Amino acid sequence: MKIYTGTGDRGKTSLFSGERVSKADRRVEAYGAVDELNSVLGALAAALEPDQPGLVSEVRRIQADLFRVGARLAFAGDETDGPALPELQEEHAAWLERAMDRMQEDLPPLKGFILPGGHASAAWAHIARTVCRRAERHVVSLRDGQAPGTASEAFRMLIVYLNRLSDYLFLLARKCNRLHGQDDIPWGG
Amino acid sequence: MDRTTFPGEVDSALARAAESPAYRSRILRRRWLCAGTLEIELDRPSGFTFVPGQRIRLFRGEDWREYSPVSAPGDQSLTLCVRVIPGGRFTPWLASCPEGSEIAFSEPCGYFVYRRSARPACFVATGTGIAPFVSMARSGLSGFTLLHGARLPEEVYYREVFEARSARYVPCLSSAAAAPEPPLGSFPGRVTEYAEKVLSGGPFDFYLCGNRDMVRDMTRIVDERFEGSRVFVEVFF
Repeated sequence: MKIYTGTGDRGKTSLFSGERVSKADRRVEAYGAVDELNSVLGALAAALEPDQPGLVSEVRRIQADLFRVGARLAFAGDETDGPALPELQEEHAAWLERAMDRMQEDLPPLKGFILPGGHASAAWAHIARTVCRRAERHVVSLRDGQAPGTASEAFRMLIVYLNRLSDYLFLLARKCNRLHGQDDIPWGG
Repeated sequence: MDRTTFPGEVDSALARAAESPAYRSRILRRRWLCAGTLEIELDRPSGFTFVPGQRIRLFRGEDWREYSPVSAPGDQSLTLCVRVIPGGRFTPWLASCPEGSEIAFSEPCGYFVYRRSARPACFVATGTGIAPFVSMARSGLSGFTLLHGARLPEEVYYREVFEARSARYVPCLSSAAAAPEPPLGSFPGRVTEYAEKVLSGGPFDFYLCGNRDMVRDMTRIVDERFEGSRVFVEVFF
């Protein structure tokens, strides 16, 4: 099966809701950042395997959730009268919160700023966190610009989820270091 | 028929439902539409429904293929349009197995469905890519433009469905391009030539279903000639 269609060779792409837009469109920028985040999470999962199957499973679940984020971002209409999009629900953010609560129980209190880094898996988690924040900024910018479809409850949930996810990734980075016997790297400034 | 994937479909629960056998059925009957293309009627299990334009995955052992039904969701049977690939592992079996043979298929999936719009719909299909539009028309949709690309006149199947429901129906016959007299009512050339030289009006909601080359060329034409149109795509690889 060949993957290419050539429909984007002139710098345009089709949104899921059918509109032809520039590949520099800010909506494309937003779901592109989510795609990038998902790829970084793939690298993180690879760095965790095979020692941490539980964490890998969590990361895989988040990767699946991010497809929901991408789907909503690629839909510029107000509503679809076709099959319902797979949406993020409150439960998706709540699941992240529970995962963060579990991680925090095992981590020492934070006494200051820390440098991103440490074990390779922790470094990937920090990269994922920063890409997540960038995706969040793009999504908020779409909403602030009143782009079509961004006033919905489903869109609001994207912002909640990405905000929660970047917090989760911060804690995950610390947990990765701890699991691999490395302390947080304090900022010496 | 293979398909484009949409990110949302990879979402776990939905993907699992669309990728695993969910129903068992029997092949009720077969009908050749033309040489190499077959219509297969399956017993529609109770509880199974779909939105016209969605597809199902048929299973035979480890192999599977995806098809968009040509029947309407409420029809008693579930009918598929199948291009038989000589020497293939799947479709020759579909063409030759005894009627009454069991077959498993998945939940429906996909988002290539008609969406209400102020723009007129222009359906563009090549070959068996006509299938989703047959189901849409049989479900009551009307007033659309349809360009159906085929090589030969006998490959223009489901003509009667579209003549009854469409506002504009144009079989585009690539083999007729060199013929002195194209068959009545048809365009002598590819769908893309029609869209580039003849199709007027718009902007449209274009629904493209067929081979990759057609989708690529049609998308270019939409960008160049029909600004403000929307494009929905289902690609056969």
